[in-house]
Amino acid sequence: MKRKLFALVAVLAIVAAACGGGSADTTTTTAADTGGGGAAEEPMKVAFVYVAPIGDLGWTYQHDLGRQAVEARFGDKVETTFIENVAEGPDSERVIRDFANKGFDLIIATSFGYMDPTITVAAEFPDTQFVHISGFKNADNVATLFGRMYQPRYLSGMAAGAATESNILGYVAAFPIPEVIRGIDAFTLGAQSVNPDIEVRVVWTNTWFDPPTEKEAAEALLAAGADVIAQHQDTTEPQKAAQAAGAVSISYNSDISEIVGDSVLTGPVWDWGVKYISIIEEMMAGTYDGSESYWGGLSDGVISLAPFSDRVSQETQDAINAKMAEFESGATDVFCGPIVDNEGTEQVAAGTCMDDGSMLGMEWFVKGVSQ
Amino acid sequence: MSFPWKFELERRLEVSRWVSWGVPTLSVLAAFFFGGIILSLAGAPPIETYRAMAAGAFGSISEWADGNFFAVTETLVRATPLIFTGLAVAMAFRMLFWNIGTEGQLVMGAIAGTWVAIYLPDLLPWLPQTRWVYIPVGIIAATIAGAFWAFIPAIMKVKLGVNEIISTLMFNYIAILLYQQLYTGPWKDPEGFGFPGSAQFPEFSWFPKFSEIPVLNVLSGRIHFGFIIAVVIAGVLWVVMDKTRRGYEVRLLGENTNAAQYAGISVIKNVLFVMILSGGVAGIAGLSEVAGLGHRLQAGLDVGNGFTGIIVAWIAKLRPLSVVIVAILMAALFVGGDQLQISLGLPSSISSVLQGAILLSVLSGDVFTRYRLKITRVVVGAGVVGEEA
Amino acid sequence: MTTTQPETRRLVVEMRDITKKFPGVIANEDVTLEVRRGEIHALLGENGAGKSTLMSVLCGLYQPDGGSLHLALHQEELCETVLRSPRHAIQAGIGMVYQHFKLIPTFSVTENILLGAEDTPTVLDLKQSGARIAEIAERFALPVDPEARVWQLSVGEQQRVEILKQLYRGAALLILDEPTAVLTPQESDALGETMHSLAASGVSIVFISHKLDEVLAYADRVTVLRGGKTAATVDVADVTKADLARLMVGRDVLFSADKPDAELGPDALVLHGVTAMGDRSVTAVNNVSLTVRGGEILGIAGVAGNGQKELVEVMTGLRTPTAGSVTVRGADLTGKSAIDFIQGGVAHVPADRLGQGLAGNLPLTDNVILKSFRSEPISHRSFLNKKAIREMSIRLIEAFNVLPGDPDAKASGLSGGNQQKLILAREIDATDRLAVGDEPAVLVAVYPTRGLDVGAIEIVRDALLNQRAIGAAVVMVSEDLDELRTLSDRIAVLHGGEVMGVVDPASTSKDDLGLLMAGERLS
Repeated sequence: MKRKLFALVAVLAIVAAACGGGSADTTTTTAADTGGGGAAEEPMKVAFVYVAPIGDLGWTYQHDLGRQAVEARFGDKVETTFIENVAEGPDSERVIRDFANKGFDLIIATSFGYMDPTITVAAEFPDTQFVHISGFKNADNVATLFGRMYQPRYLSGMAAGAATESNILGYVAAFPIPEVIRGIDAFTLGAQSVNPDIEVRVVWTNTWFDPPTEKEAAEALLAAGADVIAQHQDTTEPQKAAQAAGAVSISYNSDISEIVGDSVLTGPVWDWGVKYISIIEEMMAGTYDGSESYWGGLSDGVISLAPFSDRVSQETQDAINAKMAEFESGATDVFCGPIVDNEGTEQVAAGTCMDDGSMLGMEWFVKGVSQ
Repeated sequence: MSFPWKFELERRLEVSRWVSWGVPTLSVLAAFFFGGIILSLAGAPPIETYRAMAAGAFGSISEWADGNFFAVTETLVRATPLIFTGLAVAMAFRMLFWNIGTEGQLVMGAIAGTWVAIYLPDLLPWLPQTRWVYIPVGIIAATIAGAFWAFIPAIMKVKLGVNEIISTLMFNYIAILLYQQLYTGPWKDPEGFGFPGSAQFPEFSWFPKFSEIPVLNVLSGRIHFGFIIAVVIAGVLWVVMDKTRRGYEVRLLGENTNAAQYAGISVIKNVLFVMILSGGVAGIAGLSEVAGLGHRLQAGLDVGNGFTGIIVAWIAKLRPLSVVIVAILMAALFVGGDQLQISLGLPSSISSVLQGAILLSVLSGDVFTRYRLKITRVVVGAGVVGEEA
Repeated sequence: MTTTQPETRRLVVEMRDITKKFPGVIANEDVTLEVRRGEIHALLGENGAGKSTLMSVLCGLYQPDGGSLHLALHQEELCETVLRSPRHAIQAGIGMVYQHFKLIPTFSVTENILLGAEDTPTVLDLKQSGARIAEIAERFALPVDPEARVWQLSVGEQQRVEILKQLYRGAALLILDEPTAVLTPQESDALGETMHSLAASGVSIVFISHKLDEVLAYADRVTVLRGGKTAATVDVADVTKADLARLMVGRDVLFSADKPDAELGPDALVLHGVTAMGDRSVTAVNNVSLTVRGGEILGIAGVAGNGQKELVEVMTGLRTPTAGSVTVRGADLTGKSAIDFIQGGVAHVPADRLGQGLAGNLPLTDNVILKSFRSEPISHRSFLNKKAIREMSIRLIEAFNVLPGDPDAKASGLSGGNQQKLILAREIDATDRLAVGDEPAVLVAVYPTRGLDVGAIEIVRDALLNQRAIGAAVVMVSEDLDELRTLSDRIAVLHGGEVMGVVDPASTSKDDLGLLMAGERLS
């Protein structure tokens, strides 16, 4: 009986609260949205919009590590919050606008599909700084960020090329968009630099985060003779499938050696914290170029290579490290000619390198890639 | 010693007005109570949380005083596709045609709307490029596309006896794959650096926002013409179902096919009619999403509005006007659910769990509108025949 | 008869002042029922008199709102008992045999009997159980093959399986819900013998009925319910049919209909050489030629399943004949759909009231306009006229005294008799509307009095004769030979889908009709 009464009281209280919620903004993250002048004690408010749960150990996880790095660096001078699992499309605009409406100073939208909503909302909130990851649309208060992931992709390709015995590498890929195609081409070129007979087989999943589908794709590649599995996806399923089949793999996004042990040779990883910290520092100093298009390379530290597994020979490690030094110094780059595509056409002539515009719109595959 | 009370469900012979309103209300309250337990377990103060959710979905008085109706408009934006799909499902279910395919019909409507917006201006250059032409044409195209996608399973059902639950479900996947193929392939924006997504629609094919429509411009934000269409269609369907001969035929068929045939009503004609109507309405939902919000065909259209429409229709007891209300409340649940993360920092899965708990309570509460709980005191002793005896 | 007089036997069931209320209705009010050991006790009453409710209380489905129940089925002394569920009732020794059998057609008799029984082991020993069933069957003289599949059995045999099932579960009191409604006359007589032999071995029987003849034939005592109250409990030996009818209806009832001579009008419905397939693609109607004229009633006789259903469907446009022609009021409607027949002047009182004639979940208003919703004033252009619908509903409800007469109530809430009155009202209204000048409308009535009580039967018969009097062409399909002979001007007898003969009821004996029904042509 007592419990029943309690239930009733609780329910009534809830209703009363829902109806009479005159001043709803009582939670910590939203308490301080009056600061227009930016008094020194007001923390800077930063919001992150994630496409997947942070537990994905992939793309979103790396962004959240970046967020944590920001918190660690700035302490109570910055207040961060995030929302995960936001679908690309109409819903994301609501979430982004909600953050803007609540007075956040910096909103970081971390998926390609947030591009149009970010631009739309940014136009309505000119005093708010927006950062969009992986897109190509800028505005006065919208900066775009990305990394030259093709460089570590090339390096990881070298490790894969040295490891394979069947000369067939499997690549589980999300969507045939330039970012992914560039990665496949760089990986293939890297593998072929140590073993010219390499063939890279690609399976498209048309998903970013769908563990069962991605696992099945990897299993299909293993069954077709691939003995190294690489992937461009936000999960770790392809690597797990490779380990289960006794094969090795190349990771992406994060270092996952804790999950699949030494079966993962190495892999390209993101380190967003470096860039996020520098943006916030510049914003605090009032020097940030809010409309920048940033495409950072290995030398900036925003991208790097995961530690090598013991299964990568010292000789290969040395070769990779040497190549990495060349990329960092700018002495060479991945897409420097001659490069022939998989239909036999020469795409990059000897002695030239692709410019950023061509790389950002890359839609062809190098020789040795089969889909 | 046995439990001295006995609980039994007894069928209600007549559902009184009080029961038909009181029970769902109580079950919603119960839902919030159980949701509160879940929240407490997750370490969130339930009252605070519900307050944040309500504010997220409908805004707060201070916001309204400032003329800020952002939260309400977002809820209505989220409700718009649910009204369409809820109506589409309700129409089909009314005559026991289990249209599980509104998701696919929605997607087909969006595809047709995209074609009109992006390719029709080049095909018919003489067509005046104004909203007065392109919005009606878009609506017609989306209706036809959605209706066509529903018509195929319907004709398969009436001519070949193919189970529509299976066929409409499968047609979802075909439509979704076609849509993915289009925006990642042939319809990809030529100026989009190869990124997936069609080109942006020309502005004359956009649904106007409320802020552009006289009178309605008190509401700013993203709320758009699609919401008006949805409400108008709900009204039209209510009139059709309740006041016309056709609606009578559909009602009769849904209640008793034999009696309808006996009254000279054609099953085939009505199945086709209702499915075309249902698919057409779902098709407009797709158009509304692309022409009203995204302005391009891109990822994020197949987020389950068609399936949520089934829940909406069911809770609304298949009544068109109730669908509008239920869709808005459902949208409020989704929109308010964002606040669990944004304001309270709870993991996103908590909001899914909470939504699930609330929906489950409401749906199971339906049992009590049809059955009454009878509590009897068990007299332990002589004369009782039962398991204990 | 048994050696001991029933009166001297001890009571096994006593229901004292049972009251059961439903929202808006008092189904039972202070009803008292006493059943003795080894007695056949009939529970008689019109539809809606409260018989089913009372029995639902007795078999644990409903809890009474007042009164008490005393049982002495498993012990000598009467003991007050609360039955909380059907399961408790079974444990208390009460077995219910429903009108619609609860058997699984593809299971054997043994399997059906074991299904749901209390002591059925998880692993079945069908042989041993079968032997036990056979032993019970023999003890109570209920011959049935334990290994036969239920679908192979006749309706009468299936009923025996149901009885056997209850006995197997230890029933000492059997409740039979209108047990003869589904049986042929011969099967009914066999059931009567079964009941007597069960009673002789000490089983008590309550059988629910609204048929006076069978109550008089089979029962020892009878309790009559009227309007939810006990009208009387009497010894069958002390009463006449007219007495029972008076107790049941509350007034005197006439058992014969006065019928003036037919005034024949023009040909209204002409079937010529009609052949039609049944649902299983077997010829169900074979080369039937019939003519029905205005102002007459053509009776269709035959054992159920000899093509009546399909013939009626051909007459009403619900089934397309494979050969022959159907002409209604001079218009050839062969191959046309039901709507053309409706508009062509054919009204139809179907056999299955809730299955075909009405939409039970819809209100009376929606059911009233089933045939007329396409025409003025019920609808104008595409829109329904709610006012006209309500007026029409109230008019028809009053004309046929449909009770309860709330136009917004669901049709399924009506008793069988009132459902039939509603259908008749609607269809007769249609024939009135469709009769234009000399052109009589056609009314096809299928088993119009089946399952109805005496009062309702009277109304239905009067309505049919009234239609005949105003010049409608009436086709009446019935299994009741007395009814056919009383009402029909001519009787067509169907056997195997063929018309064995069209006879004059006045000059044809019941035996001759029986022969025709059995497929023998009269020489």
